[in-house]
Amino acid sequence: MDFLGTTSLGLLRAVPVTVLLFLASALGASLVAAVLVAMQQARVTQGLARAWIFVFRGTPLLLQIFMVYYGIAALGPIRHGFLWPAFREPLFCAWLAMTCCCSAYIAEVLRGALGAIPVGQIEAALACGMGRWTRLRLIVAPQVLRLALPAYGNELVMMIKSTSLASSITVLDVTGVAQQVIAHSYRTLDVFCLAAAVYLGMTAALTAVLRRIERSLDPLGSAPR
Amino acid sequence: MTQTSPSVLSARGITKSFGGRAVLRGIDLDAQRGDVVTILGGSGSGKSTFLRCLNLLELPDAGTIEIAGTRAPLAHDRHGKARIANPKALNALRTKTAMVFQNFNLWSHMTVLDNVIAAPVHVHGVPRAQAVDRAHGLLEKVGMAGFAGHWPRQLSGGQQQRVAIARALATDPDLMLFDEPTSALDPERVREVLDLMRALAGEGRTMLIVTHEMAFARDVSSHVVHVRDGVIESMGPPALMFGPDASPVFRAFLSP
Repeated sequence: MDFLGTTSLGLLRAVPVTVLLFLASALGASLVAAVLVAMQQARVTQGLARAWIFVFRGTPLLLQIFMVYYGIAALGPIRHGFLWPAFREPLFCAWLAMTCCCSAYIAEVLRGALGAIPVGQIEAALACGMGRWTRLRLIVAPQVLRLALPAYGNELVMMIKSTSLASSITVLDVTGVAQQVIAHSYRTLDVFCLAAAVYLGMTAALTAVLRRIERSLDPLGSAPR
Repeated sequence: MTQTSPSVLSARGITKSFGGRAVLRGIDLDAQRGDVVTILGGSGSGKSTFLRCLNLLELPDAGTIEIAGTRAPLAHDRHGKARIANPKALNALRTKTAMVFQNFNLWSHMTVLDNVIAAPVHVHGVPRAQAVDRAHGLLEKVGMAGFAGHWPRQLSGGQQQRVAIARALATDPDLMLFDEPTSALDPERVREVLDLMRALAGEGRTMLIVTHEMAFARDVSSHVVHVRDGVIESMGPPALMFGPDASPVFRAFLSP
């Protein structure tokens, strides 16, 4: 096989690492974001949620990844504690940093959607005596979901691309493998172009999934077909 | 005692201010089973606020409310600010009522059918199949049979409001609150909603209606209430209120 063929194969073999990091971070960040939004509804926990968002949104993801991997993971209690098997894995460190960072962005997306629910929709639920949890499940959550989806999808696309930063702490994701190949071949442009094509493929697949969900939530459709 | 009493609503001394401006300055109102009470008044008179105080969408600053034997759980904190004493009791009170809004407020992510069965199934615990049966009957009653699978967005304003009325009827409420139900409708759509409300009144539903439809108030209500500057300026049966002995202030309101 020629150079580009073997390189493409090598890059595709790294796709599962990138996809795993993306899916795990997306799940983790979304859950943390939901908790952050819930915290912002109560006065006691509001400050903590705001501080979290301020810090993780206001500092570079790359620095956060470095701090987890080179910083926290090197601390004595972590090194000799029961968490060490997790923290010695660069993939885990990248996941942790991405979960924290992206949760801040997603929380803001969800908060915006929550505020955009028309008051009348909530009042109709209150007026018929719906309790808090029924209201959340039946009215608020579905409406937040459809209001947030375009911006949330945007975040997810950004997250796929941000996974490439994990290569800086030795994770062999698509970008990591590309750098490895370049290190012995010195063929920079064509390898990076191949890697870029792989990312395009992944974001295209994600966009297609998001569009499907958007359509299923909005059967009459302002969503593009 | 509350079982035998035909009193459906008893509101006493309801006051409410927004940011220091008094909107309600002490309103007493009673309704017996089967009463159709229309509340008239200029904009800013406080009539909608009063209606929204009854199911505590607005929290009154003071006063007591009792609906079908259930007392509104109003309390005051140590600064005298009104608060809900007990969220469970609040929902219990609200389940005795149903509200029809000016802007319909159908849940936009649910079909017509899901809108109508939501409260029976998820608040009252009625089995789904039974609620669906009843919903189809109600949709037929409001002239919306065949629209069960439609989305609110596909309907005209008048159709949405009729679905909203079916939704309100679905829990068989003791008291129906109508907050300017025809004010957001085209003139030709007003009629279909008023005709429906007239039919409900004929069935003996207890209704409290904030409206600007004078002819409806005159023809359908058992009592007409004129609210002005946050107090009841005058009230009485329509024959009196629209007759020669009505209060001069109300007469001026009718024909300025």
